[in-house]
Amino acid sequence: MAPLDTPMPRSQSISLASVFERYGLVVFLVALMTVAALASPTFLRPANLVNVLTIAAPLGMVVIGQTFVILVRGLDLSVASLMATVAVLATAFKATTNEAIPMIFIAAIALSAVVGLVNGWLVAKRNVSPFLATLAMMIILQGIRFAYTGGAPISTLPPGMGFLASGRIFGVPVNLITLAFLAIAFGIVLHRSRLGREIFMVGSNPKAAFLNGVAPDRVVILCYVICSVCAGIGGLFLLGYVGTVSNWVGQGYELDSIVAAVMGGVALTGGRGNVFAALLGVAVLVVINNLVLLLGFPIEMQLIIKGVIIIGAAAFYRTRLA
Amino acid sequence: MSAITMDLRRNRLMLSYLIVAVLLVLLAVAGGFLSDRFLTWRNIGNLFQQLIVLGMVSLGQTFVVLMGGIDLAVGSLVGALTVFLANFLEWRPDLVWLALPLALVAATAVGALNGLLTVVLRVHPLIVTLGMSSIIFGGTLMYRKEPGGSVPRAFADIAYAKVGGIPLSAVVLVAIFALAGLWLQRTRTGRSIYFVGGDREAARLNGLPVDRIVVLAYALSGLCAGIAAIFLTARTGVGDPRIGAALTLQSVTPVVVGGTILAGGRGGVLGTFLGVLLVTMLNSLLNFVNVSSYYQWVIQGLIIIIAVGIHTPRRR
Repeated sequence: MAPLDTPMPRSQSISLASVFERYGLVVFLVALMTVAALASPTFLRPANLVNVLTIAAPLGMVVIGQTFVILVRGLDLSVASLMATVAVLATAFKATTNEAIPMIFIAAIALSAVVGLVNGWLVAKRNVSPFLATLAMMIILQGIRFAYTGGAPISTLPPGMGFLASGRIFGVPVNLITLAFLAIAFGIVLHRSRLGREIFMVGSNPKAAFLNGVAPDRVVILCYVICSVCAGIGGLFLLGYVGTVSNWVGQGYELDSIVAAVMGGVALTGGRGNVFAALLGVAVLVVINNLVLLLGFPIEMQLIIKGVIIIGAAAFYRTRLA
Repeated sequence: MSAITMDLRRNRLMLSYLIVAVLLVLLAVAGGFLSDRFLTWRNIGNLFQQLIVLGMVSLGQTFVVLMGGIDLAVGSLVGALTVFLANFLEWRPDLVWLALPLALVAATAVGALNGLLTVVLRVHPLIVTLGMSSIIFGGTLMYRKEPGGSVPRAFADIAYAKVGGIPLSAVVLVAIFALAGLWLQRTRTGRSIYFVGGDREAARLNGLPVDRIVVLAYALSGLCAGIAAIFLTARTGVGDPRIGAALTLQSVTPVVVGGTILAGGRGGVLGTFLGVLLVTMLNSLLNFVNVSSYYQWVIQGLIIIIAVGIHTPRRR
């Protein structure tokens, strides 16, 4: 067994199949964008592209977190519910000035971390299947949220939240800058740090990781915390974008984030994946959604196409039965 | 597997059943104290009428989970079938005899397709059934966005019919559960579902037609969803694409509450039956004492965690 400080072993043989697996998604994305550009002249307009990316940013944040959890053979169904709960928490401050924004972020991240801690504890220490643990968390958060709001939407928000979500600095959307920052930070953690190597080890073989002096439980819990915190931050940015808090902010993000990660080649069996490829999966997903709209198809078509693509992508990567 | 470990496993399952049964009795007693209308025949009859939808879907889920998979497409499937039934019967109310078999066949076919996709593409069942769910839901919405359609009186009567004073739906539910239990315990094919769920590779090496059993489990789940949809449409009288949305995840709760483990190979339909009773009774009781549905969600989540905590053997 290689000591921890050597880099992850990579397959050295470069076959056509491996090249395709590594760059297939890029090819697919380019092809998709070509189709979109041919089908509708609107697609390549900067306004539309920026719009697409702005919509993609909160999802991207969630996907970063989801990647961490899937890498350790888990999955997190509670991310969307957490996003909405964080959004409700943000409005609970009833703040009308921007001074409250740091407080809102601290509170949101704290709540998310607790949620991630509970998820991770249930999975790692209590041996509950990730599906059930995060499913239960999803329902519990939903109940608490609705009990607080009574089901009514709220819209008391500091004006700065809207700027964070859709404002620009030198023409670049703020939320994209944030996403890039998060992606690079967590990308370094995952692909360049000791913790990252431990995550891959635990994901591909928990027993071997344990024998190498890694505490699998600790690593798994940490991954769930990272996932929840990413989702919480994503929730704040989505909230600013939407403006008012319905109790269902982020609905569907749990599935979309899993779809994007799987499309980006993150294996549901754990131990294999890349944050940046997962983000490419997000790009593919939003371009498809945008294409459906631009072509004037009914929006329900997105559901059908998404379904076909998730099955197809998973088959492509041969995600084996866990 | 040695006789002793087999025996331990069975005892553990019996213990799970016992815990759920005791909880059921406690709940019934508590209900009797909290409201004098709770333990009336009338309310129990009502309970059983509601039971069949969740009961059937959960039964289907049990087959799949025992086999080591999961079916997240059942909710969308039930929704699509109610839309099909209500619209078909609005168009030709006289063709009830044709609509019901058609619905069951379609449901079974969709289930079998789920199974085929996991087998042929070797894709994780979570992904396959999620994808199928999205496809079915999208397709249903493209056909009809809002609830609509209607059913003839004769069909609606299915939901409220009584056999010797007992609701038909209760009789059907108990009969199907009993059959399913016997089938799983006493027949070769039924038992092989446990084998495949316990250790797929070992089952294959033992010469079991693993792929066929996988497809069969999913097809049964589809069939069960079909039966659920028939009773649901009869009761509500409309087809609603969204009516099944919550059903998917709800169907997993009684299965795990009843002691069937998500990894497959251990559990049974008796546990699911008790689980369905427990969940339905608890919700009914919470309604009786006016607990808001919001807190019912919190309680449902806690039940899942506690049940899994009780039933899951400690690791190492």
